[in-house]
Amino acid sequence: MKGGQPEPALQFTKQLYIEDVGPRKIESIQFSTFGESDILKAAEVEVFKGGYYESKEKPWANGLLDNHMGPQNKTGTCLTCGGGFQDCPGHYGYLVLALPVYNVGYLSTVLDILKCICKQCSRVLLGEELRINFLKRMRNPKMEPLRKSELQKMIVKKCTALASSRKAAKCAKCGYVNGMVKRNTKMPGIVHERLKVNASLKDECSLAVPNKSNFSIPDEMDPKLVHSLLKNMLDEDCELLYLNDRPEKLMVTSILVPPTAIRPSVFVDGGTQSNENDISERLKRIIQANASLVQEISDKDFPSKGLESWILLQVEVAQYINSEVRVSLPIEQPTKPLSGFVQRLKGKQGRFRGNLSGKRVEFTGRTVISPDPNLKITEVAIPILMARILTFPERVSRHNIEKLRKCVRNGPNKYPGAKLIKKPDGTEISLMFSRKNVEADDLKCGYIVHRHLEDGDVVLFNRQPSLHRMSIMCHQARIMPWRTLRFNESVCNPYNADFDGDEMNMHVPQTVEARTEALLLMGVQNNLCTPKNGEILVASTQDFLTSSFLITRKDTFYDRATFSLICSYMGDGMDQVDLPTPALVKPVELWTGKQLFSILLRPYDRMRVYLNLTVTEKSYIKPKETMCPNDGYVCFRNSELISGQLGKATLGNGNKDGLYSVLLRDYSPHGASVCMNRLAKLSARWIGNHGFSIGIDDVQPPAPLILAKDEKIRIGYKDCDDLIQQFNKGHLELQPGHDAALTLEAKITGVLNDIREHAAKECMKGLQWRNSPLIMSQCGSKGSPINISQMVACVGQQSVGGRRAPNGFIDRSLPHFPRKSKIPQAKGFVANSFYSGLTATEFFFHTMGGREGLVDTAVKTADTGYMSRRLMKALEDLSIHYDNTVRNASSCIVQFVYGDDGMDPAQMEEKTGQPLNFDRLLMNVKATCNAGDMKSLSPSEICKMTDERLSEHDMTPEGGCSVAFRDSLAKFLKDKCVTCLKNTIEDLKSDADQNGGNNQDHLQNISLNISGITAQQLEVFLRVCISRYHNKRIEAGTAIGAIGAQSIGEPGTQMTLKTFHFAGVASMNVTLGVPRIKEIINAANKISTPIISAKLKDEYSAKDASMAKARIEKTLLGQVAKSIKIVMSGRQASIVISLDMEIIRASRLSIDAYKVKESILRTPRIKLKEQHVRVRSPRKLEVVPQADKSKLHFELHAFKNKLPAVVVSGINTVERVVIKKDEKKEGLKEVSKYHLFAEGTGLLEVMGTEGVNGCETRSNHVMEVKRVLGIEAARTSIIDEIRHTMSSHGMTIDIRHMMLLADLMTFKGEVLGITRFGVQKMKDSVLTLASFEKTSDHLFNASVSGRVDKIEGVSECIIMGIPMLAGTGMIKIRQRVEEVKLNYGLDPILT
Amino acid sequence: MADDDYEIEEYVEEPLDPEPDEGAEIEEDNNNEDGPDPIMAEEDEKQEEAQVDRQANRKTSKYMTKYERARILGTRALQISMNAPVMVELDGETDPLEIAMKELTERKIPFTIRRYLPDGSYEDWGVDELIVEDSWKRQVGGD
Repeated sequence: MKGGQPEPALQFTKQLYIEDVGPRKIESIQFSTFGESDILKAAEVEVFKGGYYESKEKPWANGLLDNHMGPQNKTGTCLTCGGGFQDCPGHYGYLVLALPVYNVGYLSTVLDILKCICKQCSRVLLGEELRINFLKRMRNPKMEPLRKSELQKMIVKKCTALASSRKAAKCAKCGYVNGMVKRNTKMPGIVHERLKVNASLKDECSLAVPNKSNFSIPDEMDPKLVHSLLKNMLDEDCELLYLNDRPEKLMVTSILVPPTAIRPSVFVDGGTQSNENDISERLKRIIQANASLVQEISDKDFPSKGLESWILLQVEVAQYINSEVRVSLPIEQPTKPLSGFVQRLKGKQGRFRGNLSGKRVEFTGRTVISPDPNLKITEVAIPILMARILTFPERVSRHNIEKLRKCVRNGPNKYPGAKLIKKPDGTEISLMFSRKNVEADDLKCGYIVHRHLEDGDVVLFNRQPSLHRMSIMCHQARIMPWRTLRFNESVCNPYNADFDGDEMNMHVPQTVEARTEALLLMGVQNNLCTPKNGEILVASTQDFLTSSFLITRKDTFYDRATFSLICSYMGDGMDQVDLPTPALVKPVELWTGKQLFSILLRPYDRMRVYLNLTVTEKSYIKPKETMCPNDGYVCFRNSELISGQLGKATLGNGNKDGLYSVLLRDYSPHGASVCMNRLAKLSARWIGNHGFSIGIDDVQPPAPLILAKDEKIRIGYKDCDDLIQQFNKGHLELQPGHDAALTLEAKITGVLNDIREHAAKECMKGLQWRNSPLIMSQCGSKGSPINISQMVACVGQQSVGGRRAPNGFIDRSLPHFPRKSKIPQAKGFVANSFYSGLTATEFFFHTMGGREGLVDTAVKTADTGYMSRRLMKALEDLSIHYDNTVRNASSCIVQFVYGDDGMDPAQMEEKTGQPLNFDRLLMNVKATCNAGDMKSLSPSEICKMTDERLSEHDMTPEGGCSVAFRDSLAKFLKDKCVTCLKNTIEDLKSDADQNGGNNQDHLQNISLNISGITAQQLEVFLRVCISRYHNKRIEAGTAIGAIGAQSIGEPGTQMTLKTFHFAGVASMNVTLGVPRIKEIINAANKISTPIISAKLKDEYSAKDASMAKARIEKTLLGQVAKSIKIVMSGRQASIVISLDMEIIRASRLSIDAYKVKESILRTPRIKLKEQHVRVRSPRKLEVVPQADKSKLHFELHAFKNKLPAVVVSGINTVERVVIKKDEKKEGLKEVSKYHLFAEGTGLLEVMGTEGVNGCETRSNHVMEVKRVLGIEAARTSIIDEIRHTMSSHGMTIDIRHMMLLADLMTFKGEVLGITRFGVQKMKDSVLTLASFEKTSDHLFNASVSGRVDKIEGVSECIIMGIPMLAGTGMIKIRQRVEEVKLNYGLDPILT
Repeated sequence: MADDDYEIEEYVEEPLDPEPDEGAEIEEDNNNEDGPDPIMAEEDEKQEEAQVDRQANRKTSKYMTKYERARILGTRALQISMNAPVMVELDGETDPLEIAMKELTERKIPFTIRRYLPDGSYEDWGVDELIVEDSWKRQVGGD
């Protein structure tokens, strides 16, 4: 990995003319090996002295800190280029080693080469024909580097097969006998085992040393020999082994000493001592080892001493490159290990991840955050202290010159000031020390003033962990006093921030371009929705919900003065408000609280915001709609709140048809954000006057509640006692798949949970309506019924690991209880409430539960963080291109159309991810376009109009509309307009017929009024649908991969880590949660709970189900045999097996002795032949083992133990089969459907089982699906499995993200996991891989094979500091210069 | 009740109000695209034909993406901040970004967007040829 090398600075008397070609761009990086000649070319000075300083601050000449390699400190100059500390880029030195040594990074490559070549003549060991064949394939110019390295691996494998530990490979060219080549396990080196294979050598040795029978010859290949072997290799062979350069460069013969700039020497103790860099320290040790080696070589009695110094040198050089090399030599290890080059690069703090992929930045701030509802949601309050430090370089123009003059006059310490002036010629004037007034007067257009931050400046605001793109958003600054960063609470959600001491970061973009892009793409207003599923994320929270809930109570009325006052709360009293007609006119004019919301949405008459929506709140009771006794049916019609008490479902986050979502979709993000601002101000001020607090009386249970709870607990305890007694007597009825203890646990847990739920219900009922926690829970701002009941009534069962408290002592949880006690109190049931106080044991159980939660969060952050990182690395470069395909950085197509329909997940309006919510739109259109006098259309007219519109160009696939959408629109209109209208007409007609003949025309009119639609309404509806659909298409340039990775990674952090089990069918446990997601995206070959779900050909037959179950389920001989006995008679000894035909028949198996015989013969461990097993009768067979008499007895017993485990029927890999019974009402009678679940693998066998519907059989094992059904099935399986896992945790993720992930995992034709192995096969770029994992391996391999990295991917662009090819970097902007027309003056003289 | 009556009257008059932009804009832009550019019309026939031909062959979306929009506004705002001549009448705006946005809504930004397709070929689209989403209008100024 050696990039550009500094050219030796030639000194010319005159500066050469170099044409300025403008700024250069790195197009690609080629990796190559750096050989000895390159080193000599690059180096300026030979380094051979192992010391640092000759005297104080004077480095040794030819020492490690020689000034030819760059100046020491600020005072010194470079002896090579003459530059000072600032200017000199640093120069290399070189260090010649006495003997070559291995480069530890290339050791595996060298090993591979040596495996392939003859250890005498350096030619490849392969036969000539094979060699030429491989060479041809290797030379194929179309071959990708990945394929090439696979081919190279194959060649190595072929060659290794030639020479194994037993076999010798004779070189076809020279006849030399090659043994096996191995890596030396003790230290960096290579071993060539010839002794075992070379008989002649053995003989020779024994002849030479006759009196020694056990001799060993050193089979270590010394580096010098290897070096010469590599040097002798033919270029053709190098090519075959995918070596880009001469292989001798893989050995170290001399070392390039890096410039002092990268290994600075720091003086401590006032210059008396110096602290040297680890690299310098390593080099020093190399020089010392080298020197002693030189001495040894020159010594007369060299051979006798061996080459200990050589080994030492080898170790030192290896550790210089990678200090983690395993060395078994007893070298004294320094207290703190010195790091090598590899250590500098790798790891989180290493160069790649720590400095290249993520850089430290200036113009940032960080402090504690606090809320301020008076700010807009797009704003952030920045303390003046910060604003005085953070600056923005503003260029002086005639618009801002006066403002900037003022700033300059104020200087750096007074607030709206400036820190620095930059003139066009490049000079900088700091305002700290200069005469500010003079500078202010001198200010000219074109100067750049670094002024303090001011109101309206664009800043980026961020909170860690940045799990999704809404964790960093763009706000506009408001400079405020005091010391915290403040923002509107509505924006807490995307950052996941609270104000318990959280700190947040802020960055100030420094150019106009950066500001613009930040504002337009990252602005809060443009990120109200999450692209995860299109739900709204920025919405009202906590107090805002509480006060909205209280304001919209049915019994809130305000007189004119109060109502006007509250109206003025919404916008600082500066906005125009038209008071609506009071709800009550006499005796006094009174307005309702609901009318306040009408004003909030549409303050004055001329504002044309007509909002229509219906939402059901949590308290809604079906099916009374607006007449709901709890007022839970929220209905807005043309921006008037008709009914409903507003709560979280309407105003909160995480929904798709709440008030803000509808505003956002039907109007603009701006409209939604303005309403949020108004509500924030209104509720903060209103609740300040109204007062809302919590006190001890809020958690004091009223007497009836205490009674009810005590009674419930008493009953529950009694139930538990009964259960325990039943269990003790053994009368407990077992649950399917459970033993008695488990059944007892499950039943007791059920009873105890019921107690808590009952208590919660009682609380919600029994507490008085003014109770603050109750209000908060009702409106959804904070707390659940369970939380209230824990405070007021009963804390409930504490669980550890999903069970009741475990036994920490012998047979009991705590020594307060008798042994083996299973009563609720002894296993962690807390009957008290937090108000009444916990007993000592209850308290202890409660801490156990609490601790588990803490541990769980601590563990899962690390786990999901790594998962997110891997997902991000794998998906980072996927983006939408202008031809609407999804491609990766190397333009390889992953999807032809994003998510099969090319829609933007952030803009999907329907809950399931469909683009539009037709129901709501139709309602909206009907409400806003009043029918008035216009006549409604007849069903046929509707059909005609719809068909006409739907056949226009923009509804065709060529016009950019998916067929699915057109069909869904047509179907909706047919269902909701045509059929509905027809039904109404029919119903009315029948009604009229019963009530006697009535006028047909009237009937017609009535039905049209009920469910008709006018031409205008239909036209508007269609137009809105279609145009909105077209606007919801995903835009070219979107980095959809990154969004997808975040959308899958972020919910992961919210899932409980534990293998979350669900008892779907009879205790069939399925891994869920993070472990399951990990299994899927890792493409694990072995998953913890593989389950095959099979449908039956006849779903309604219980008999078929049990027969299929019997066929699939693994049955052992021991299960169906009545007896397996050893029978010894005079003639022979045998094992007689008699089958239990009753059991066999009962479990519907078709087994007889013949089948058993076959199974026994098939079983691999039991080595019996045909003649050893004899069938006596269909139910009896005997096994006669053949063995000599001495062993026969043991043989017999061995078989007797083995035989019961023989699988006689069913699928070996299936552990258990469960029949699931679904009872469903079809028509009038109840029918039950049956299907099977099989635990284990063996999809193919299950599909082929008689009675199973193979087409409807699926497995949750992705890799098995791939093996059995192919890649497309694997893709579907990945999508389904991820979706299932996520949805069982109550998380909705747009299916398009999962499709993208599944497509990425399968687009190469095999299922690639999102692990280092899979990512390696997906990416071409060396830098991306190096910044992921195994940094050094990728770099070393890249240099050996001479890989070229065309800086195209996201990681590479970030590393190189180049704008990436996605989003705004995808296009080029050209100035359109109008042609100048020279139509004045005379014609030129010369033409 | 008077209020309600008034509102209903307004709806009858302008029934298409809630979505006035979406439909209208598409029509307007379709017209724009079909007709040749006023500047192009002045040039000679051949070039115009080539231009029309080129326009007909373009296959990328006629909508301006938010990235293009951000890039154009950024570049233009930079130019304006460096004292480039402004192409629209100003009424008091001084913020370069605000001016750039005004220019964009009036289709006066003198830029061409070069959209690169994955095979390396490109399509040139004038800023005035693309349909700009209107919901971005009030970004900087508040209400």
